[in-house]
Amino acid sequence: MSQEVYIAGVGAISAIGNNVAQCLSSFEKELDGIDEITYLDTIHRFKLPVAEVKLSNKELAELTGVSAETSRTTLLSLAAAGEALSDSAISGISSYRTGFVSGNTVGSMDKSEDFFIDFIADNRKGKLRNVFDHECGSVTETVANLLGIKDYMTTISTACSSAANAIVHAAHLIKSDLLDIVIAGGTDALTKFTLNGFNTLMILDKNFCMPFDDNRQGLNLGEGAGYLVLISSKVAKNLNKAVYCKLSGYNNSNDAYHQTASSPEGTGPYLAMKKALEKSGLHPKDIDYINLHGTGTPNNDIAEGIAVKRLFDPVYPPMSSTKSFTGHSLGASGAIEAVFSVLAIRHGIIYPNLRFETRIQELPFEPEKRFLTGRAVHHVMSNSFGFGGNCTSLIFSEI
Amino acid sequence: MDRLSKLGWLASEILLKDSFRKEIYRPEDIGLVLSNANSSLDTDQKYMASIHDIPSPALFVYTLPNIVTGEICIRNNFKGENAFFLFNSFNAYFIENYVADLLENGIMEACICGWVELLGNEFIAALFLIEKLKGNKAVSLSKEYMEKIFKSKNIDL
Repeated sequence: MSQEVYIAGVGAISAIGNNVAQCLSSFEKELDGIDEITYLDTIHRFKLPVAEVKLSNKELAELTGVSAETSRTTLLSLAAAGEALSDSAISGISSYRTGFVSGNTVGSMDKSEDFFIDFIADNRKGKLRNVFDHECGSVTETVANLLGIKDYMTTISTACSSAANAIVHAAHLIKSDLLDIVIAGGTDALTKFTLNGFNTLMILDKNFCMPFDDNRQGLNLGEGAGYLVLISSKVAKNLNKAVYCKLSGYNNSNDAYHQTASSPEGTGPYLAMKKALEKSGLHPKDIDYINLHGTGTPNNDIAEGIAVKRLFDPVYPPMSSTKSFTGHSLGASGAIEAVFSVLAIRHGIIYPNLRFETRIQELPFEPEKRFLTGRAVHHVMSNSFGFGGNCTSLIFSEI
Repeated sequence: MDRLSKLGWLASEILLKDSFRKEIYRPEDIGLVLSNANSSLDTDQKYMASIHDIPSPALFVYTLPNIVTGEICIRNNFKGENAFFLFNSFNAYFIENYVADLLENGIMEACICGWVELLGNEFIAALFLIEKLKGNKAVSLSKEYMEKIFKSKNIDL
């Protein structure tokens, strides 16, 4: 398990852009992607703001070259994974052992919801083609097949840390010399199921979310997909372009506290960050930027904040929650934010935490408020903490 | 805690109170494999009823059967593999195979397994403690013995 894992390509689609370049441009302009509900058909329209990808299914289908009947989760996945693969500029992936590891939490629930409207009224009605793709693994399989990846594919569904865990699993596959290239990340589309579920948990903000602010009220749901192309050093040697950086550390630790809440001491987040640092051989002072999980819920941000304090006090690196731009895209968020973390190293940038006003009373630090350029960003930590106490931290390091 | 979790929690307390020395194991080596027929339906129905007024977050978080495994893990600081399976009736054949495989392959050293079923006024919990180390009164893991114990308690299968 001594192999290095390099990042050769990145792809992302989110509420702030349909590709990596558009996302970066939105950060520069400090423009978030949160708005009234436009595409999702729900009774919560005009009541709850969300961060939708600004394309209809038809437009996504045109972008990716598949049928508009395809589930939105699959369409988003295909857009971002395709971008990551072409960005990596690896010629002839078929000559390598290549895998696809993708996280998601909703599968093709969006299509199942279409099915149910007819089915509930009359159980002889409803189009079965809308449910055959329902389960999470089906999304991964469809995209892997379209990308021509045959050697290995798997799906990871651990709530909001799904995509980060997909990246961890991919790293293990490369380090164990089972695969040479893994496209790893995650995807999730907005659905009634997730919006209603989070609304039931009473953790949605009726206004635009305010991560790490003392007056935060909750999260805004988002959607999107993000993927990294992870490669072994053997593949890196044959690459025609420079790799972005390497994945130097990672850890998954569990809070073992509550189904949907973090422990008040931030045990899981603390352990994930600490052990990821240990794995990378780095110290807290080496981290130049933390991409926080920062959902904007009262519970997450205090638990994560206390964990950051326990680990980093008294010297804090710049940190921010990019969910203030993209909303919380659940099973995709860990990968979308991993892409942003990789780009922070490449471009020497720090992302702002929008709408921050008041420091959390219990915490001695506050997030970065402005888009910063020209920074020396050597090591970035990216946090993703999921329901069930499933906490993951990734560390990316320049080479 | 919902009623299914309380049932599993109580049954595990009874199972473990005298005979289990958890301190000889690492938390990662103790796992759970539970099963039932009606999943979390008891709580699902209560949650559905609550939607007419205000959907209850406290009920919502229990609308999964495997929450009971999590509650038992948190109570005892077990951190090994855990799973919850649905069967029409107690499936000793499956439990034996599944648990034996986990133990033989070094995935875990001890396992709490069995049946935790609750719907309305009907409830049954039958848990077994399976360890690699042979305890004083221990017998070999077999589906026949599990079935026998299940039936000897006059449990209606």
